[in-house]
Amino acid sequence: MIRVRQMKKIYRVGEEEIRALRGVDLHVGKNEMIAVMGASGSGKSTLMNIIGCLDKPTEGSYELDGHDVSKMSEASLALVRNEKIGFVFQSFELLARQTALENVELPLIYSREAGLTSRERTRRALHALNRVRLADRVSHRPNQLSGGQKQRVAIARAILNKPAILMADEPTGNLDSVTTTEIMEIFRQLHAEGQTVLIVTHENEVAAYCQRVIRLRDGLVLSDLPVAQDQAGQVIA
Amino acid sequence: MILSPYFYSQAIKLALSQIWANRKRSLLTALGIIVGVASTTSVIAALSGLKTSVLTEFESFGANRIYVFPDRPDDKPRNLYPREKIRIKPWEVRELQASCPSLRAITPVTEFGVSIASDERELDGITVVGIWPDWHEAENRRVISGRKFNGIDEVGERQVCLLNESAIDELRLPSDAVGSHILVDGRRFLVVGVIETLQARMFGGDSNTAELFIPFSVAIKLQSTEFFLRVVALAKSAEVSEEAKSEIQRTMRRIRGIQPGDPDTFRAEAIDRYIDQFKTLASGITAIAAGIVGISLLVGGIGIMNIMLVSVSERTREIGLRKAVGATPAAIMMQFLLEAMVLCLAGGLVGVIIGKLFAIGLTLIPGARLENADVPMWAVFLSFAFSAAVGLGFGFFPALKASRLDPIEALRHE
Ligand SMILES: Nc1ncnc2c1ncn2[C@@H]1O[C@H](COP(=O)(O)OP(=O)(O)OP(=O)(O)O)[C@@H](O)[C@H]1O
Ligand SMILES: [Mg+2]
Repeated sequence: MIRVRQMKKIYRVGEEEIRALRGVDLHVGKNEMIAVMGASGSGKSTLMNIIGCLDKPTEGSYELDGHDVSKMSEASLALVRNEKIGFVFQSFELLARQTALENVELPLIYSREAGLTSRERTRRALHALNRVRLADRVSHRPNQLSGGQKQRVAIARAILNKPAILMADEPTGNLDSVTTTEIMEIFRQLHAEGQTVLIVTHENEVAAYCQRVIRLRDGLVLSDLPVAQDQAGQVIA
Repeated sequence: MILSPYFYSQAIKLALSQIWANRKRSLLTALGIIVGVASTTSVIAALSGLKTSVLTEFESFGANRIYVFPDRPDDKPRNLYPREKIRIKPWEVRELQASCPSLRAITPVTEFGVSIASDERELDGITVVGIWPDWHEAENRRVISGRKFNGIDEVGERQVCLLNESAIDELRLPSDAVGSHILVDGRRFLVVGVIETLQARMFGGDSNTAELFIPFSVAIKLQSTEFFLRVVALAKSAEVSEEAKSEIQRTMRRIRGIQPGDPDTFRAEAIDRYIDQFKTLASGITAIAAGIVGISLLVGGIGIMNIMLVSVSERTREIGLRKAVGATPAAIMMQFLLEAMVLCLAGGLVGVIIGKLFAIGLTLIPGARLENADVPMWAVFLSFAFSAAVGLGFGFFPALKASRLDPIEALRHE
């Protein structure tokens, strides 16, 4: 499903070169649920952005669903983001003036599917809201929702186009532990329904919902272990 | 990349909600456009009102009237065309009458100054006009009492005359002057009718001068043999007035034996020419108004550009998010272009409405001859087209900037 080989990302800030990724190899299979962990600045977000087609690697290849994405044009990448990727952000990123339903429908504006009726759009958005158990907050605006509810709207938006991969960069970073559990239950549910999930987190409780944990350090993969072994190692360390 | 109808409907909805959410700011921004469009549509409305009344004026004046004068070609030596050669002679007028089927009426008009006298008073240097009976129809001048000239007056060289009211006043004749006698150049003339006074008109026609008309056949006997005349003719309808004019030209050239390639020694002019001159003037003013609108739209456009740049930077995160969920650079560009255009069109709409109201105000000004002032449809369309073009032109740079934002950096923007 996802195959990353020798991926490097170098940022240039003035004279300085910042090597955010220094040669990452990674394989993600269908219907895996993976946590990406590591210290701050280790390159987690950089890796996620490239996998999410929001950014391009400086070097290396990236294959998504059998297509080499690393050399695509901006417009084609936008299409890939629209159809194959669902992204969940730490700070939700909902449009303040739009209702939950309208926020969820957003990706359809840019969809290639011509001739969707408004009824069909609403049906799909309602279905997505249902899957995150938020069918009773359809016409609320973001400022009328709790943090956990906002993140559920964001997840519904991410899964609307049935993406090949659902990615989340610290989705629970702004939430308390009760709400974190609530959000992780939703990810677990989506995974159970067949969704491939990739989550960046600092929290072991979040990683515990996953099957596999990839740890980064200084732009390299430090370890890539099943969750049980990883958690055991953490306890020892 | 084809954007879906849903994209367009959402983009326009978003644009409208943005304008509404920032309505004070939007209003101030669109002020340049509003003022520009309002002032131009008002000027155009005033002009179109003026045009309508002037054209109606010309119509009553007789759009199908044709004048023929002697004329010396400009670029030829004077001595080749002596006065006697170019002078229009009475037989030429009769020939025109016989040879121009598109004419309804034709008359020679000869004017000369004489002294006239009533029992009460003597006046010097009064202009006497010699005419055929057809003149009544050709110049559309009615008699208000008494009778018109007729063929017997002309053929019989009868010493009869028509006066207007100011001539009656000046000669101190009784107000019903018909039947009185006056002396013209020492001869006794019977007043047979009173001619209506010319209404005050926008162009020409001074109503207050004394006018005295006598039969043409009598008039030529009172003058030297080299007297001067012009011709007034009326075409059967406005449609055939061009045809009538060329009939006159053909006939005159034929009877004067002018060879092909040689210049005319006369000039035939229809009143249309003056209408054309007025139209030229009006379009000149319209062009100036368009220039003014150009400047104010430029100023308005800079405001639009500024506000769109502000909008792009305020909504950087939103742009980042839209890109993250699949908006292409073209879609972002289109959205901001539409927003600038909707803003400008809204300004244009307000401007057109103000212009319309102003036009209604103009029609209410008494005596301004602007009863027909209205913003014509083409001006409305043009205003919208201009507004949209300003939105497109000045929205382009901000839209381009938005479309080029990097999604990650945009999402990190505070
Ligand atoms: N646009 C950029 N320009 C320059 N350097 C950058 C840029 N983005 C990231 N970096 C650098 O790349 C490195 C990796 O950053 P990244 O955001 O991937 O870390 P992270 O693992 O997500 O950290 P955190 O846990 O704090 O989110 C850091 O040293 C960061 O300063
Ligand atoms: Mg990060």
